[in-house]
Amino acid sequence: MTELTKIVEKKPIPSGAIMLQGLPDVGLVGLIATSYITSELNLDEIAYVDSDLLPPVIVLHDGLPHAPLRMYGKNNIIATISETAVPAASLHIVMRAFIDWMQSKNVKMVVSMGGIPVENRQAIKEPEVFVAASTKDQLNLLSEKGLKILKGGYMVGPQALTMRYCAERNIPAIALMAQSFYNYPDPEAAAMVIKELTKIAEIKVDISKLLEQGEEIRLKARDIMRRTQQEMTRMKKTQEYDLPLYV
Amino acid sequence: MSKRRKRSIFEVMNEYVENFRIWAEEIIESAVAERPRWDVKSCCLEPLCNVFITIDEAVVTADLPNTDPKNIKVKAVSEDSIEIRAKMKRKLQFDYFGITHRRGEFSSFRCQVHIPVPVDTKQMKSDFKRGVLEVRLPRKKGYEIKIE
Repeated sequence: MTELTKIVEKKPIPSGAIMLQGLPDVGLVGLIATSYITSELNLDEIAYVDSDLLPPVIVLHDGLPHAPLRMYGKNNIIATISETAVPAASLHIVMRAFIDWMQSKNVKMVVSMGGIPVENRQAIKEPEVFVAASTKDQLNLLSEKGLKILKGGYMVGPQALTMRYCAERNIPAIALMAQSFYNYPDPEAAAMVIKELTKIAEIKVDISKLLEQGEEIRLKARDIMRRTQQEMTRMKKTQEYDLPLYV
Repeated sequence: MSKRRKRSIFEVMNEYVENFRIWAEEIIESAVAERPRWDVKSCCLEPLCNVFITIDEAVVTADLPNTDPKNIKVKAVSEDSIEIRAKMKRKLQFDYFGITHRRGEFSSFRCQVHIPVPVDTKQMKSDFKRGVLEVRLPRKKGYEIKIE
């Protein structure tokens, strides 16, 4: 953990928990999914990221200040959300500090949720969900459970770093990604990710309310989506459209 | 201590170009004052919108939740820009967004979108699906050069 970036714990952190991660990214899919789970499971705020590399921002909820990048938890679940776009230039250091902290808390598995940008999203009624994993054994297990494997291509951004650093540290990590709009908030894609999550983790969440609230979420997520898009441009997120060279 | 790999001239140049690009972006961003994406005077919210350029057309999309396709209007305001206006199904006050220190309400979405390539605005077509408006404008054709 670097001195510039530290995790401040507000409550006891459950050991051996499943970590859900939903940072602002394509279609805000992971953020919407994680925020919804946090609210539905009534998780408590347990920690936050304090970093000189993040913008000098706080978020007020009922008049009280909160760090934008924070963790919620209860029993065997920890969920990470961010109410502000994480600057592309700070992403490596913040994610490394974050994953070091997870390792110190003996996190059992990380599930990083997000979106895969597709150009014809308007024509897709039910977005498909794909999965990638940090180990071959996990991938086989996911395949046996009927999940579709993301076999090739590039990943860019918080999910990419989560997979890389978790693989380096032997922390089991899964990336769940739904087809989504690139720069429009996509609650339907978030609902599909949660649906798949319930197949691989002991988390029971009803997605019907999320689908009902879709329009409201899209209205309220306009500005964070706009700022997230600026950061996605900086991190060259569109590389995910590129066709990779496999020789 | 590990020995540092000698970088090629191309790598060094790439790094300079990349640093210059970031610097130029920062200059442009700081020169254009940030503004709110809402206007209380006209009761408008600015929607999220985007422009994609393909070989044949420019595709403008806008996210328009809380609207009805009947109440969306798209018009060309010049040769290279279009205006999108959409009346909301229900008006929204600031407190809907959890903001109690501002007053005002929003009844429509409105934005002007600049198209960066020559297009034929008379031929534009629009479609509204899953709350997203899509406007397609065919690109103006150039002329062919004979290959000898």
